[in-house]
Amino acid sequence: MTALRALIRKELQVLFGSPMAYVALTLIGLVTGLIFFDHLRIYNQILFLYASTTMGGFETDTIPDYINLRDTVFFPVMETLGVTLIGLVPLVTMRVFAEERSRGTDELLLSTSLSPGQIVAGKFGVTWLFVLIMMMASFVYPALAIRQGGIGLEHLAAVFIGLTLHAAGLATIGLACSAFTSSQLVAAVAAWAVGFVLWDFSWLNPLVNEGTAKVLDALSMHPRYGAFAEGIVSLSNLAYFVGLGWVSAAVARFSFDWRRVAG
Amino acid sequence: MRELAFTGLIALAFGIGGRYATGHFGWFNAVNLALGGSALLGAALLALRRMGRARAPAFRGVLLRSFGRLGLALLGAVLLERGAALTHLQWDWTFERKYELAEATRGVLQDLCHRIDALLYFDNFDPRIRSTRMLLRTMAGTGCLHFETRRIDDHPEDEDRYGIGSSNTVVVRLRGASGPERWERVERPTEGTLYEALYRLRHRQEGLLWVARGAGEGDLERTGASGYSGLAAALRTEGYKLHQFVSAALTEIPEEVDAVLWIDPERPLRPTALQALERYLEAGGRLVVLLEPGHQTGLETLLARWGLESPDDVVIDPASGPVEEDAPGVDPLVYRYDTRHPLARGLDENRMTFFRGTRGFRLRKPEVGDQIRGIAFASPRSWLTPDVGVLERREAPKPPPDAQRGYHPVVAAGEYRRAKQRKTRIVAFGDSDLASNHFLRTLYNLDLVLNAVHWAADREPAITLRPKSGVSGAMQFPLPLQNTLSAFQSLGLLLPELLLLAGALVWARRRSS
Repeated sequence: MTALRALIRKELQVLFGSPMAYVALTLIGLVTGLIFFDHLRIYNQILFLYASTTMGGFETDTIPDYINLRDTVFFPVMETLGVTLIGLVPLVTMRVFAEERSRGTDELLLSTSLSPGQIVAGKFGVTWLFVLIMMMASFVYPALAIRQGGIGLEHLAAVFIGLTLHAAGLATIGLACSAFTSSQLVAAVAAWAVGFVLWDFSWLNPLVNEGTAKVLDALSMHPRYGAFAEGIVSLSNLAYFVGLGWVSAAVARFSFDWRRVAG
Repeated sequence: MRELAFTGLIALAFGIGGRYATGHFGWFNAVNLALGGSALLGAALLALRRMGRARAPAFRGVLLRSFGRLGLALLGAVLLERGAALTHLQWDWTFERKYELAEATRGVLQDLCHRIDALLYFDNFDPRIRSTRMLLRTMAGTGCLHFETRRIDDHPEDEDRYGIGSSNTVVVRLRGASGPERWERVERPTEGTLYEALYRLRHRQEGLLWVARGAGEGDLERTGASGYSGLAAALRTEGYKLHQFVSAALTEIPEEVDAVLWIDPERPLRPTALQALERYLEAGGRLVVLLEPGHQTGLETLLARWGLESPDDVVIDPASGPVEEDAPGVDPLVYRYDTRHPLARGLDENRMTFFRGTRGFRLRKPEVGDQIRGIAFASPRSWLTPDVGVLERREAPKPPPDAQRGYHPVVAAGEYRRAKQRKTRIVAFGDSDLASNHFLRTLYNLDLVLNAVHWAADREPAITLRPKSGVSGAMQFPLPLQNTLSAFQSLGLLLPELLLLAGALVWARRRSS
């Protein structure tokens, strides 16, 4: 336990001692802000157009239902944020295992009393903590939209859970990719590619039969994440992200044995 | 091997990304997917070849255990997700609980179970699809409905076949064992509109309603705010055949009529019409009548004989605020119901109904065995005023010192044993505006009115609370840019700035150490 504590402390020091973490946090805050304000500007312009006297004003029911804060600002922001995270999260996870490997410190780590499983657990835990902080920083604007839009606190909680699980899921993929290489760049790009491929398989639906489409749909991250954004918290979606973390941790653990055998 | 895997992943990502970006699957996507797949396959083969080097028994053991663990994790994850999916456990945390299906929707889905499917037509980038898909998925969760999504451009033949005019249109189809396919198109899909489409597909002709006209009654054909075309459509949807009769020419109402609907006659009715109605009721007839303050038509006298006395008063309810241009208190928001009565089943304090200027009722039993009940009540602070002019003024009416405050009934129902074959049933509303197009879908008005007709027509199993068909307009207001800009400049920019400062300090400290 002492060794595990030491590993976690070291990981925290490395993470928060590096300007990269703060740059990532700043980036996510700024990107979310810009996306949010861009959508808000477009929304206000559309509303202004419909509410103008030539269109009949607010009182005449001329504004289509879908022009509302939820559909025109909130959901597109969440959608764009979901895709943006695929690009941003690997920047945080790329160094976790790859850096150890490039410096040769992974051998040192394995010579301690820690098992590979414990090493994976420690690194995953610290990364998830960072992802949680990152999501809190990125949640300021969606939260503002939700509160102003009257969507409600429960919905806000559902969205935050979904956003955090989505980011944590991407982080687990990033960590698994990082565990197989000594190059941080390779780790980041591989994580980006896997995240992007896993994001949504619905484009394949016209090409495959119904059964396969269902399986592919079940594998996709987008419908799961989208359900939380809609305010639906389902046990199967929670289980999906838990399962994703579990498999990714197993893959990262596998990399230790693979390296011993295949070099 | 790594290079190949790396190339494969990038090619796959661009193949898929191109499809997302353009919405079309072209040669670029196909080539990238083929390249990516081949590269990944090659990488896997190389990996297997490398693994072949691990001939030593010690290595074999390590690999076997490692693959075993990986397989177990995969299996465990799949089982966990599938197990969780089987429980169908989900929580609707939306503000308006829009994905919890109403009892009525579940009922109609059960009735049509495995005979219906839904097609959702969409264009790329239509944000409404998300909600509609989720709603259909929730309906499909009952196990009774199958649905699929179709891009409009990919199915031009369906545009003509079902008249698809815009994205976010749902076609609900009923597969008949014999006969042609029947379908309903829903252009603003909400649970309410889908429910109505399903109800129409179920198509049960279960009652004959006679509706009075000719003495200034509410017009079932009129589509404006003061018309009652919405009520007519809702009654037809719920399986009633509507027959309109001219009250001045009424001499007899046949016994097979399930109920008579009389909506706010403005002029006095002819005695022959009232006598015909009286004879019909004596023979076990059913009547739903919607009154209005200030109108004396003869129906009030008839109702009084049946124990539902309605003096020409206006109910003033100080608990209700002003609505539109009206004075405060003249439009009661009703939240008290006699929930023991089947007509008010499901209504409670959170399921309010809105009355725009209403009369009250005084109830008495005409004969032993008659059952007379108040159904909906104004708040305990309400009182009655004989001054009908308050409905035209804008200032709040002041109660006289001797005003009798209490739960004044604004809807009352009576059941009587006069004929041998069936019981007479009467439901009287003190207001007719609540059923007009303007207010029918306000709060739970539609449910109260339709359930009153169902109870009167002896169709109690049809009494239910229907899903709401409207789209919440609560979020259709501008978020003031000025306010949000100042929020952005303070809270929004402050947070990244502080984070960047912290990062700079960390970097500087590391350099100096």
